Amino acid sequence: MPDFIDGTENVSVHGIMNWIRLLIIFSVITVIGNYLGYKHPMTDSLVGMGILSLITLAGVWMERELPFNVSSIIYISLIGIILAFPGMPTSNFVLHYVSQIELLSIVTVFLAYVGIGMGKSWNKFKALGWRAIVITILVIASTYYGAAIVAHIVLVLTGVPAV
Amino acid sequence: MQRRLFIPKKDKKRKVKHIYRRKTDKRILKKNPWRDYRLHGSVFILVVIAELIGTINIPITKDVVITIMPLIFTIIFGIVFYLAKPITWIKKRQAKIAEGAMMLFIGVLIAKLAISSGQSIHLIFEMGPALILQEFGHLATILVLPLALLLGFKEEAVGMTNSIGREPNVAVVVDKYGFNSPESRGVFAIYVIGSVIGTIFISFLVSFSLSFIPLHPYAYAMASGVGSASMNAAAIGPTLAAFPTMETNIEAFAGFSNLLSFCVGIYIVIFIALPLTEKVYNFLEPKIGKKSIIKEKEEDGDA
Repeated sequence: MPDFIDGTENVSVHGIMNWIRLLIIFSVITVIGNYLGYKHPMTDSLVGMGILSLITLAGVWMERELPFNVSSIIYISLIGIILAFPGMPTSNFVLHYVSQIELLSIVTVFLAYVGIGMGKSWNKFKALGWRAIVITILVIASTYYGAAIVAHIVLVLTGVPAV
Repeated sequence: MQRRLFIPKKDKKRKVKHIYRRKTDKRILKKNPWRDYRLHGSVFILVVIAELIGTINIPITKDVVITIMPLIFTIIFGIVFYLAKPITWIKKRQAKIAEGAMMLFIGVLIAKLAISSGQSIHLIFEMGPALILQEFGHLATILVLPLALLLGFKEEAVGMTNSIGREPNVAVVVDKYGFNSPESRGVFAIYVIGSVIGTIFISFLVSFSLSFIPLHPYAYAMASGVGSASMNAAAIGPTLAAFPTMETNIEAFAGFSNLLSFCVGIYIVIFIALPLTEKVYNFLEPKIGKKSIIKEKEEDGDA
């Protein structure tokens, strides 16, 4: 199994440094985008991105170091929920700074990387064509109606008056 | 090597995920990705351009507005940067690093969502059962799966029909199957197409439904929170116009339902929607699956 032994089983300090540098670059770009798009003060949003980066780093590190086969997304979500849980000593601090970062600012930068990565597989995307458009329309419609019908049934059953 | 010992059964999906993670790690660990100033410089320029353009609203009628947000610009410009001939500094190497880096940056996105969930946990109890249960209504997307198979999609269909395919769903699917998997191509296709036509389509859909289907006004308000800020806004417009006396309540329900779709919806996708979609796919694919429409074009991809 030579394929398994490629230095990724043990997270070296070198690897963690690479993650940290990448997250710093990502944070700086996001903070500038956040300032341009929503005029949030740069220093506060930089602290906010610092918090988010630390949570990410912890989650990614735990995924590779802890002996459970659990995705980093789950670790990151748990850490985030616990830190922001009302009543936690950290919640006010975390909420104040993280609320300075708009979700859409993060998504905008994230999608720039996605776009460049996607360019490589553009030919496959083109092959999806009109069929994908049909499926997209049906998926959006079924999400909307699914939620509306379930909500309607529950509201009627629990006796919320339809004014 | 220790981690491997704790993986009980290596089924197909787990294996795919781990192979992919090794690739990501290889890129991140060995190529010094942060040093690629061409990639990060380009991303920075893209983001600045996109944020300076800002959100563009194109009104079609009184209730129907096409909204183009900066995030649509960055994804489209990103593809254009890679494909455009004059831009020689974004090549396959940069695209590969972008992929590897992206897997790390998903974490930041998830962290932001998780903090919103933690913060609003008490509202979930106050708002009553309807709000939570309607999140399960989103599972209706799986009904589209048979049609996707009939149209000639294979594993792409799993990515396409497990959810509405917005940011958190993309993150979950990419994390599970890897960037270059058919499932991720499927969810990205829904994401890109949904970003472009989703907003306008849902405006029409809501206007149409309000006039023809008599549902509870709050049900319409909650349903508008599909998990996309722009689609949410587009869906609220006609709903408010239809029930002008309930403005505040409709806005509250719509906003919170959208937040729920982001925070709770992601767990419904991870633990229910995606496994269920796979089950339905494995059951239906041998019965009604057509010849894959992707096969013949695969060679000119990113071999």
